[in-house]
Amino acid sequence: MKVLIIGNGIAGNEVAFSIRERCRETEICIVSAEAVPEYDPCSLPYYLGGDCRRRDVFRKQKRDYVKNGIDVKYNNKVASIRPDKKTVITENGEKLGYDKLVLAHGGDLFIPPIDGIDKKGVFSCKQLHETQRLKAHKGKCAVVIGSGAIGIEAAEALKKKGYEVHVIELMGWILPALFDEPTAKRLETAMESHGINVYTNEKVLKINGNKRVSGVVTDKREIKCSTVVVATGVVPGVGLARTANIATERGIQVDRYMRTSVSDIYACGDCVETVDACTGEVAMFQLKHNAIEQGQIVARNILGDHIKYLGAYAFARAHFFDTHAVTFGKTMRATDCILGDKELIEKENGGDYLRIVLLDGKVAGGQAIGQYADDIGFFIGAMWRKDDMNRLRKKINQLTPTAAAHSWHHILMGHLLQPAP
Amino acid sequence: MEPRREQLLIDPQKCTGCARCTIACAMKHHSRIDPALSRIRIRRFESQDLNVPVICMACEKAPCIKVCPMNARTRQTNGTISTDTDVCIGCRACIYICPVGSPAANPYTGQTMTCDMCADDETGPWCITACATEGALTLAKSGRLTAAIVRERANGGRKIYPYKTGG
Repeated sequence: MKVLIIGNGIAGNEVAFSIRERCRETEICIVSAEAVPEYDPCSLPYYLGGDCRRRDVFRKQKRDYVKNGIDVKYNNKVASIRPDKKTVITENGEKLGYDKLVLAHGGDLFIPPIDGIDKKGVFSCKQLHETQRLKAHKGKCAVVIGSGAIGIEAAEALKKKGYEVHVIELMGWILPALFDEPTAKRLETAMESHGINVYTNEKVLKINGNKRVSGVVTDKREIKCSTVVVATGVVPGVGLARTANIATERGIQVDRYMRTSVSDIYACGDCVETVDACTGEVAMFQLKHNAIEQGQIVARNILGDHIKYLGAYAFARAHFFDTHAVTFGKTMRATDCILGDKELIEKENGGDYLRIVLLDGKVAGGQAIGQYADDIGFFIGAMWRKDDMNRLRKKINQLTPTAAAHSWHHILMGHLLQPAP
Repeated sequence: MEPRREQLLIDPQKCTGCARCTIACAMKHHSRIDPALSRIRIRRFESQDLNVPVICMACEKAPCIKVCPMNARTRQTNGTISTDTDVCIGCRACIYICPVGSPAANPYTGQTMTCDMCADDETGPWCITACATEGALTLAKSGRLTAAIVRERANGGRKIYPYKTGG
């Protein structure tokens, strides 16, 4: 059997190495758009800021592929898929046959249609070669457009490199998809205390300069700068799937076995649209741990198992110098359009902050900063189990000492969930 | 993946909260008497008069390995999971995702640290020696730690707090 994997990212490699772990005979070929072995995009901002060396970014070495008998075609982009002939055609015109095809090419950076975005000095921080260019670039002042996880981490990294950094966000607060306003405002304060200027509710209109960037114009101000980092999010790469008439929505649509609508084609990673493991809603979580799990599911299903994917879960953290924040599940804003009895629990203790969203007495999501964040794992567990928190609040005061030993994590959550006196 | 050879068992009812195990742990790994450097932590619940020693369970499907942005969390040959201090950048993702709140952040470096079962010491984990009188920490060899025992222990909590699933 020949398995062809498009994309040399985390999901693609997880598929390849999981297959190889179970079966030595399968012929595996990875088509990689880049010239390097698998690396971890999450760690790129740390490489940019000098927290880690270039070699720490890589998850695999080129010799690992040779050792495991995995054929990698570097610098090769797939142009189209022909499911009727079971071949893919690369941009070089090469034809590659397959028995099972895995789409794991991930997402593309969303480039907003801003005037002058193609000028010299505009960078992204999603791919290694772009990050290397940004690391080699010298400047004094940088503007980061967008404040997603990549934007925030890139801002911190650039600050460490000695830049004067400005972050521009279109929405009302930073990290709008991950955090609610009170949590985000605390992070914002932390950023500003480290000398990074954050402008929310602002729209970038134009990037000035002849060939090189000389400044950024927003609807409220003009900033002179030599470097612009675009971090406006990642959109799933659906263009390739459309050449094979695979059903796509926001991402490639897959069933519970990670199969696409065309037979013998699987998809996993950032390019697919999956369900939320807790709520069952169709959602996109372009997060590393989901990609790994999906890759393992694809590998086992290709080898003939029939394993169901339980769904993706939202868990992310953001840190800024010494302020650590974590989020899981839904934000309060995301529950706005859901019917039900909503309750918000907030705890504050100096710089520490806890925010738990309860929906019909069950944990729907939460955010925390500082000390409270260390115990957030218990709430993630409670969300998965769909624990009734109202019942728990009543229960903890009636526990006998012997009973308490067995349910200590409930006691902990119960105390945190008590309404403020 | 290597099968887990041994596992620390805790008994919160026997724990007096004396914190000797934390000192033993800090001595073993950092040669310092500083409970903040311990990989084992004792959670105190004043209202219930309860002390719970918390250690890494070394989950079979460990979420901390998956969420680490630097791939610093790796499984060791004895089944435990440890943080590679050369690579760890102290983002604390492993602490947050942990279902028992186990990894601890080293207050001096910000990097996380987890129980390694004192793999390099043949006499066994130091915390167990420190807890010899109370016996709240015991070592279970892989033969003894069958699924049945694990299930029986887990059921202790379920009897008292039966989950209402679904709904």
